[in-house]
Amino acid sequence: MTEDKKQMTPPECGYFLNQIYFYLTQGCNLRCRHCWIAPKFQTEDSIWPSVDFELFKDIIRQGVDLGLSGVKLTGGEPLIHPKIEQILDHVCETGLRLTIETNGTKCTPEIVEKIVKNKGAFVSVSLDGDDAETHEWVRGVPGCFDAALEGVRNLVRAGLRPQIIMSVMRRNADKMEAVVRLAEKENAESVKFNLVTPTARGEQMQISGETLSIKELIDLGHWIENTLEPSSELRIVYSHPTAFRPLSKIFTKSSGRCGIFGIIGVLGDGKYALCGIGETVSDLVFGHAEKDRLADVWNNNPVLNDIRKGLPDDLKGICGDCLMKKMCLGSCVAMNYYRGHDLFAPHWYCEEAHNAGLFPAERIRPGSVSEYGG
Amino acid sequence: MTDLERPVANPTVVLREEFDDWAVLFDPDSGEAYGLDPVSVFIYRLFDGKHTPPEILEELREACEDGIPEEAPDHLKAFVEDLTSKGLVGYAEAA
Repeated sequence: MTEDKKQMTPPECGYFLNQIYFYLTQGCNLRCRHCWIAPKFQTEDSIWPSVDFELFKDIIRQGVDLGLSGVKLTGGEPLIHPKIEQILDHVCETGLRLTIETNGTKCTPEIVEKIVKNKGAFVSVSLDGDDAETHEWVRGVPGCFDAALEGVRNLVRAGLRPQIIMSVMRRNADKMEAVVRLAEKENAESVKFNLVTPTARGEQMQISGETLSIKELIDLGHWIENTLEPSSELRIVYSHPTAFRPLSKIFTKSSGRCGIFGIIGVLGDGKYALCGIGETVSDLVFGHAEKDRLADVWNNNPVLNDIRKGLPDDLKGICGDCLMKKMCLGSCVAMNYYRGHDLFAPHWYCEEAHNAGLFPAERIRPGSVSEYGG
Repeated sequence: MTDLERPVANPTVVLREEFDDWAVLFDPDSGEAYGLDPVSVFIYRLFDGKHTPPEILEELREACEDGIPEEAPDHLKAFVEDLTSKGLVGYAEAA
């Protein structure tokens, strides 16, 4: 907790709002086949809603009163927002910690100059292969590999080493080591391997067999933690749940986790939501920034309060019986709800692993139903 | 904790060792789980009600090729007190 927050009285609900995830645009200039947000394809002739700049400023103003200390700009593609330069300037003026998730194609020197004015900014750029053919198969737009790579280079030239994010699927799994080597060569800060989540377009990929099986994903996790990560100077993260991570890594190398108790999402059309899941699950939309006060949503929304009250003790299935649940918190409540229509449904990765007899036995609560295969 | 007290692990607590020599310590009463690093696991196994702190440190010294740091007695004391406060460790009755 920052020194400033130590001086603040927490909001009524008892939780500070640490970070707002702004899904700045409903459109995207790429067509990623795995995207869990499934944005509309945006061109010069076909433009989709984006967060109004005045509304953006107003939301931040309200958020600061609730303890806001950071913003994440994502999408869609945040850097195609028509007022992105003003947005970056404004975040800089507020002193909030800036995080950006981008496909990198619009990381021009001008935009990067604005980004790096934000001290301590963290930027992740998506690269799904070390070559254009693989990357563009995933991202659906010719030329986007070179553009993304140039974006990475612009960031590094300006003194900001980005994280490279690779979404792993059947087509590109054999490129994971190559992406690490590319990231090393380009002087990136880290590589994060994301799993294709069975949500929206990712769900379609799973149905058509384009994603890896649970056994393949678990085996990859072992390889990454025990072989690939030690081979690189870069920080390497694999987004599998805590139960699958060696204890030695859990306590010495953080892989991050969803800050579920301290976040809220703002969608491209101004709606408040748990996160970007609000684009596909209306139950997880909490109101609209044009008419609802953020404090009212933050303190009184019943879904948020259910999460605060029930997580992790009300987690169900294998997640309820997992020894890591206090650390993991179900890994991703949004995804769990998408699949099970229940905030406390078990996470798909853990549930599939358990059903396949692959969940680490030593992480299951002794005497629980899950221990006996239930 | 004095040098004469012999720590003893709560018998209801489960220690599950893993492939990397770390272990999960699980308290079924509270539902809490803790991670122990390899040195902590080594020490925890000596919480059998028979070893005093100096004896535990001596065993540790013999097991560590590079010796143990000067602060080891303080670390051990803090470790035992932490586990005691959580109900994971107690003390054997004096003989």
